[in-house]
Amino acid sequence: MPVRALDLVSDPEIAREISAHLVSLERLGEVRGRRPTGIAALDGLLGGGWPRAALSEISGRRSSGRTAVVRAALGVAIAAGEATALVDVGGTLDARAAPAVSDPKIGPALLWIRCRAGEALKAVDLVVAAGGFGTVALDLCDARLQIPDAAWVRLRHAARAQGTTVLVSSAARRLGAFAAAAIDLGGAPAFATDGPPLFTGLDVRAARVRNVNFAAPEGVPTNDNQPPCVSLVFTSRS
Amino acid sequence: MRLACVYVPQLALQAALRRSPEARESPAALLVIQGKQKPRVVELCGQARTAGVRPGMTAAQAQAACPNLRLFTATAADAEAGAAALCDVGYAFAPRVERDGERIYFASDDLGRLYPEGDRAIAQAVQAHAARLGFGARVAIASSKGSARVAARAHELAVVPAERHGARAFLAPLPVSHFTDDAELVAAFRRWGTRTAGAVATLPPSAVALRLGPAGAAVARLSRAEDDEAFLPQLPPDALEEAVELDYPVYEIEPLAFVLRGLCDRALERLAGRSLACAGLTLRLSLEPRGLDVREVPLAAPTREAKTLLELVRLDLARRPPEAPVVGVHLIALPARVRASQLDILRPAGPAPNRLGATLARLAALVGPQNVGTPAAVDSWRPEAITAAAYPLTESATASRAAEPRPTDELRLSLRHRRPPEEIEVLMDRDGPAALRGAETTFRREDPHRAAKPRPIHAMRVLVAAGPYRLSGEWWQGPEDPINDPTAPGSWAREYWDVHASDGAVYRLHRDGRTGRFYLDGYYD
Repeated sequence: MPVRALDLVSDPEIAREISAHLVSLERLGEVRGRRPTGIAALDGLLGGGWPRAALSEISGRRSSGRTAVVRAALGVAIAAGEATALVDVGGTLDARAAPAVSDPKIGPALLWIRCRAGEALKAVDLVVAAGGFGTVALDLCDARLQIPDAAWVRLRHAARAQGTTVLVSSAARRLGAFAAAAIDLGGAPAFATDGPPLFTGLDVRAARVRNVNFAAPEGVPTNDNQPPCVSLVFTSRS
Repeated sequence: MRLACVYVPQLALQAALRRSPEARESPAALLVIQGKQKPRVVELCGQARTAGVRPGMTAAQAQAACPNLRLFTATAADAEAGAAALCDVGYAFAPRVERDGERIYFASDDLGRLYPEGDRAIAQAVQAHAARLGFGARVAIASSKGSARVAARAHELAVVPAERHGARAFLAPLPVSHFTDDAELVAAFRRWGTRTAGAVATLPPSAVALRLGPAGAAVARLSRAEDDEAFLPQLPPDALEEAVELDYPVYEIEPLAFVLRGLCDRALERLAGRSLACAGLTLRLSLEPRGLDVREVPLAAPTREAKTLLELVRLDLARRPPEAPVVGVHLIALPARVRASQLDILRPAGPAPNRLGATLARLAALVGPQNVGTPAAVDSWRPEAITAAAYPLTESATASRAAEPRPTDELRLSLRHRRPPEEIEVLMDRDGPAALRGAETTFRREDPHRAAKPRPIHAMRVLVAAGPYRLSGEWWQGPEDPINDPTAPGSWAREYWDVHASDGAVYRLHRDGRTGRFYLDGYYD
C-alpha cells in the first residue's frame, strides 16, 4: 500500500511548510520547460513564459516597455529564490524600480553589472559560465554593436549547459534564429488630458515574432500572416 | 609527541630553482657575491658536482668544468621566499611550525586520522607536498627534535621508532658527523675511535661532558636518544610573500606580467596547500635607480585562480603604469578561508561560492570593481542615486524565502537613467518645452530597416509636455555638482518635465533651478 511521504512527517508544522513548497508533476514539467515572465498576458503569448536554458529576445524602440518586461522577469525569478543577473550597458537601472531595491523582504539577489557596450557580451558570458544563475538579462540599451554570430552561438551553448534563461533586450532584433523566443514591443504614450497634461503610462503592443516548440494556447489569436500579439498597459509611477 | 622534520639541503639553490623549474633537470649552481670579489659557487646540485664543479669556483671556472651549467645569483628575495615556502610545507599539515635554517619541525600526532597507514605515509605525503612547492626535501618523523633532525640528515625518508631503545638502535649505525656540524668535535670523537653514534653511546656522559664541554655532552645524549631540545613552534604570518629580483630592468607591462605569473602561481600553490585562497594583493615594485611603487589590488572575493589575479594586476598596471623601470617585484597575498555553504532543500541551488567568487573577480577586472554588485539605495533624495553594494557570496545570494512566482497584471514603467544627466538645449514656450536639441547620440530615430545605422537627429519637436514637477533636497549640504558623481552630496532644486517627443519616446528632463540649464535624465521604458 503506497504511503504519502508527508504522512511520515510527525510534526504538522513541518509537513505544512514542506507541502507549501511542493509542486505537482504537471507543474514541474511546465516549470522545467518555461520560466514565468511575471506578466500574465506575456505568459499566455509565449506558452508559459521564457524558455529555460535558451536565449530569448525582447526588442523595441525607446519607450516601448522592454525595460519593464525585463524587470518583471527578473523580479519573478528573484521571488522564486533564483540567483539573477543584469548586465546593464550604460548603467541605466532605475533605483526605485530595481527588483532587489524595491522589495526589502526579498533581499539582495540581483547581480548588477554596469558596463560599456563592448564589454557586455564578455560579461554575460562570464556570468552564464559561472553556473547557478536562473535568469540573466543582457540589456544592450541603445548600443549598436556588430556582434558576430559566433558570440551568440557560444552564449546559447553556455545557457543550455547551465540551464540559464538569457534575455537579450535591444532596440532592434539581433539574435535571429539563435533566439528560442522573441517578442517585439511597440508602445504609445498615454497622457491624462482632463486638466494639465499628465503622463500616465504606455499602451504597449507585444508581438510574438518567434517561439520555438510552441503550440498557441486557447484564447490567443493566431494568424499565419500576422504574428499573435497582446496588449499591455504600463503605468507610470509619477 | 611525534615530530616531523623537513630538511631541504641547499635551500638557497632550491629557492632560486623555484623561479626556473625547467633548470631542475640540468646541472645548476648558486653564486654568491662577497664584497668586491668575483662571485663564487657556494651551492651546487649533484649533477654539477659529478661534472667537476666545486664550491669556491668562480663562474668562469664552473662553466669551464661543466659547459651546460645553469648559474643563479643568490638574492635576498629568493632566500626569503624560499624560507617562507618551506614553512608553508609545514603549515599545510600543522597549525604551528618551528623553522631552523634549512629545516622545519612540526607535530605530526594529529595526522594519524588522515593517514591511518602510519608515520611513513605521513612522511611520504609531506615529501610529495614539498615537491609540489618545488623542493626536494628529506623527511623524518621521530619522538624528539634531535632524533628527527639526525634521521632527516641521514635518510631521504625515515621513521624513527617511538620507543627509546628502538630509537637508540636506529641511530646507532649513523656516523657522528650527522649529529653535529662542529668539525673539531667530530675529529675529537674520531680520535677516540668512536665513529658512530652507537660507539659514542657507550661512553659515560659525565666523562664526555668533562672533556668536550656542553656540545659534546649534547652529542652523547642524542646518540643515546635522550635529547631534550625544546620544540618552539610559531603561528603562520598574516600575509604570504613571494619576491623576485630581476637581472635587468623591465620597461613594459607584458614582460612584467610574465614575471608576475610565476609569482602568482607560486603564491597560490602555497595557499592551496593550506586550503586557503587569496583575498587581496599588495604589489611592491622596486624601481630603478631607487624608489618603490606600492599598489593594492582589491579582489571582489577570495580566489585561487592565477589567471584572475594576473588579469587584475595587469589592469591595475595598465591603468597606472610604474613611473620607472622595474627591477624587483614583491608580491604579498592576503590569505582567506573559502567558506563552504549549506544548500537549502527548498531553494534553488545558486552559484557555487568558489566559482562565483572567481567570476566576480573577473567581472571586476573587466568592468571595474565599483560596477559589480547588487543595486543598493543611497541615502539621498535624488531620483537617480543608486550604487552597487558588494554581492553576497553565500547565504543571501538567493532569496531568503522562496515563493511561488505569480504573474501580475499591474505593470509599472521604469525610467532608463542617463548617469550623469546629459545637458541638452530646450526651446521653451509658454506651455513648457517645445523642442529639444542634443548631441548626435542623444536622440535617434529608429528605423527597422536600418537597424545597424539609426538616423541621428539633433533636434525634436515636443508633442506633449507634462510638468513642471518641482523637487529639491539636501539644502543643508553644499552646492551640487551635477556633472560629476550624481550621488555626491549637495543641495539641488529641479523642475522636472515628462515630454513626448517626435521620435515617439517619452523623456524625462529637468531644469536646474540654480543655473537654469536643462538636463536629460533618461526616458521611460
